[in-house]
Amino acid sequence: MEAYLVAIAIVAAIYVLLALGLNLQYGLTGIINFGHVGFFCVGAYTAALLAEKGWPPLLSFSAAAALAMLAAWPMGLISLKLREDYFAIVSLGFSEVVRLVVTSEKWLTSGVQGITGIPKLFGGLATGLPNSLAVLAVLVAVNLLAIAAMRRIVTSPFGRTIEAIRDNEEAVKALGKDPAAFKIQVLMLGAALAGVAGAFYAHYIGYISPDQFIPLVTFQIWMAIIMGGVGRISGALAGTFILMLFLEGSRFLRDIMPFISEVEMASVRLGVVGLALVLFTLYRPTGLMGDFTRK
Amino acid sequence: MIPFIELALNGIVSGLVIGLAALSITLVFGVARFPNAATGDVMSLGAFAALAGASASGTLLIGGVFGIAVAAFVSLACYFLVFQKLSSRPPVASLLASIGVAFVIRAVMGVVFGHQQKVFDLPLARPWRVLDIRFHPTDLKISLAALATLVAVFLILHATPIGRRMRAVADDPSLARVSGISPRRIMVALWLLSGAVAGIAGILVGIKTVVTPEMGWDLLLPAFAAAIFGGIGHPVGAVVAGVILGIVQEVATPFVGFTYKIALSFAVLLAVLLIRPKGLFGTVAGAR
Amino acid sequence: MTLLVENITKAYGGQVVVDHASLRVDTGGMVGLIGPNGAGKSTFFSLVTGFIEGEGGAMTLDDRAIGSLSPQARAQAGMVRTFQVPREYTHLTVRENLMAAAPGQAGDSLLNVFFRPGRVAEEEKALAIRVEEAIAFLRLGAVADTPAGMLSGGQKKLVELGRALMTGAKLILLDEPFAGVNPVLIEELSERIRELNARGIAFLIIEHDLGALSRLVPMLYVMDRGRIIASGAPADVLADPLVREAYLGGTT
Repeated sequence: MEAYLVAIAIVAAIYVLLALGLNLQYGLTGIINFGHVGFFCVGAYTAALLAEKGWPPLLSFSAAAALAMLAAWPMGLISLKLREDYFAIVSLGFSEVVRLVVTSEKWLTSGVQGITGIPKLFGGLATGLPNSLAVLAVLVAVNLLAIAAMRRIVTSPFGRTIEAIRDNEEAVKALGKDPAAFKIQVLMLGAALAGVAGAFYAHYIGYISPDQFIPLVTFQIWMAIIMGGVGRISGALAGTFILMLFLEGSRFLRDIMPFISEVEMASVRLGVVGLALVLFTLYRPTGLMGDFTRK
Repeated sequence: MIPFIELALNGIVSGLVIGLAALSITLVFGVARFPNAATGDVMSLGAFAALAGASASGTLLIGGVFGIAVAAFVSLACYFLVFQKLSSRPPVASLLASIGVAFVIRAVMGVVFGHQQKVFDLPLARPWRVLDIRFHPTDLKISLAALATLVAVFLILHATPIGRRMRAVADDPSLARVSGISPRRIMVALWLLSGAVAGIAGILVGIKTVVTPEMGWDLLLPAFAAAIFGGIGHPVGAVVAGVILGIVQEVATPFVGFTYKIALSFAVLLAVLLIRPKGLFGTVAGAR
Repeated sequence: MTLLVENITKAYGGQVVVDHASLRVDTGGMVGLIGPNGAGKSTFFSLVTGFIEGEGGAMTLDDRAIGSLSPQARAQAGMVRTFQVPREYTHLTVRENLMAAAPGQAGDSLLNVFFRPGRVAEEEKALAIRVEEAIAFLRLGAVADTPAGMLSGGQKKLVELGRALMTGAKLILLDEPFAGVNPVLIEELSERIRELNARGIAFLIIEHDLGALSRLVPMLYVMDRGRIIASGAPADVLADPLVREAYLGGTT
């Protein structure tokens, strides 16, 4: 039971990093990023491949964040040029292209077979609970750091300006501030968080393949931040909690109802995420647009 | 040289199908200003419904009609149940809701039809050879069906009063209010038409390749690329862009490999948006 | 700060919206631009502030050509506009709206936010004092901590004016400041504009409604169908038969 709870907590902590990044991008800045899973994927593959080469985790995780940021930089430039709905489509396409690249470049990524045997973090500790607890401790520390950084951003002039960009980008320009640098930095920072999340994910699961990085992951994170209420750090946390309840609940449901096949369960999950997106956009627009009591 | 001609011919066929999907997108995007990400899954649904109809009735024709009808009906149902309520909301709401709808449709297909690849039961036909160039009779039929659909859509848009209203609204949304026909009727016709076109596109893809719940979603990116390339709200543009995209994808396959075919449509989408956001024939700009 | 606009033109699909329009606002001046609905006034504003690109003509700000600058660069040069439909930052409070408008904040850089928190905090303190003054001046104290999206139309116009002040602009372009504002607040707003003008800030004001504007500005331009058809002191301009025709016989 403890092992199970720790396992859930680890996955939840990884999702929180993703949700914090997306909340920064959409909730605070208004950038519709539909390609979040692409940055997650870049981070996961970077960490896995560098671990194979024997890089120490501190370096490989930094590289995962850096490469995800590097991938976000051109996206930032593109976001300046496009209307928001077009950028959403382009960012979705971006994450699909990332998946195509890791599928196709077999020499590097083993294609659809994926990368197996990614070493656990803290390999020195006994496998099982001690090891998982150590991973969880590091993840919690990283999360606290990320949350502290987000709080700092929200209360800073930078945070005020990105919220102004979200509320009315034209007015920001009219008052003499250039949204460009802000949007690029926000996209890169969110991507860095996703990249680190990917690195943790690769090491924890031990196996990555392209079909783990489908757009559904992106929209699960969207579902989380909408349910929690966008623009708030607490919303990202609460939303992730609900998301985990749902994901684990569906797994539990399959355990007690073995006549449902795993493929069918995957369809059910997809359907529930879809339904949640529809219902929340229809009936709880404040979750999507934020309300007037933000902080 | 001959392999390239074969690839180009193949590209025209798949391009016509992409063009149909793009047509479905551009109609709704142009007239209702709605970027409908559920189009791909309506396509898949049309193909599955046609399969079911064909196996129940024994003829592909009846199956096809049934598939088209189901796609059109589901498209209209999506409009009434969800999309209609989002017309005055920011783009993020339409986008997320249409992706949610896409997921729901695909989930239903996954549960009802399963995830195995299915194929249309067609008589095997020997490919023709003209000057050493091979061409499948099935491909010819697909192309003819796609062209017939295009002609039908253009007739509807240009020769019927409701079609003319649709075009007028696409050019200037404020016209919707002053035109004689109620906006509601325009929208009903629009979503039925868009769904039917998507259904036909899905059936044709299914005939050309295989039917899976994911097939439509996988074509969404090329379809959006073609719709934007052609100029949003411009039906001819969508089809021309679809054919160009189809040819480029097929001819480039020997160089870039099979999986990067889809990446090519992303490259085209990006290039168009950054260089000529109005598209080939369009007036609505995606850039700012 | 002198704004000089010469012969700027804009056409949409063959229809000329702004037709070789010229205008001048002198340092510390107060100029009105009137015209019937659809005369091209707002398009003119967008051309001058760089939100849309024109065809030909010249624009200078203190002899510096600004025709090819981005909107933000023109604002940085000291010319700031407001919008006909207020574009307040809906989720930010009135105070935050004003603070967000302050230019050149060290805290707008993430590096400073994280690595020079002291300097950022100092700037914030100084800024808060300036914002408090602006809030007091605009009589927005009662709503200072209210999200701007919840304000009345007139209050939003005040917030927009306040933000323009915070940028330190030398020339403020107001797009229909009195539209949708109740009569009491119109007087209030006029009074504030007068006081600011007395402090040396120049104004260029678009209005559809003549009454309040002609009491406010000593210099008036009249635009009709994209062209400037008259200019001069309000009394003279309003007596001009061309102007009377534009207003009475035109599309109003």
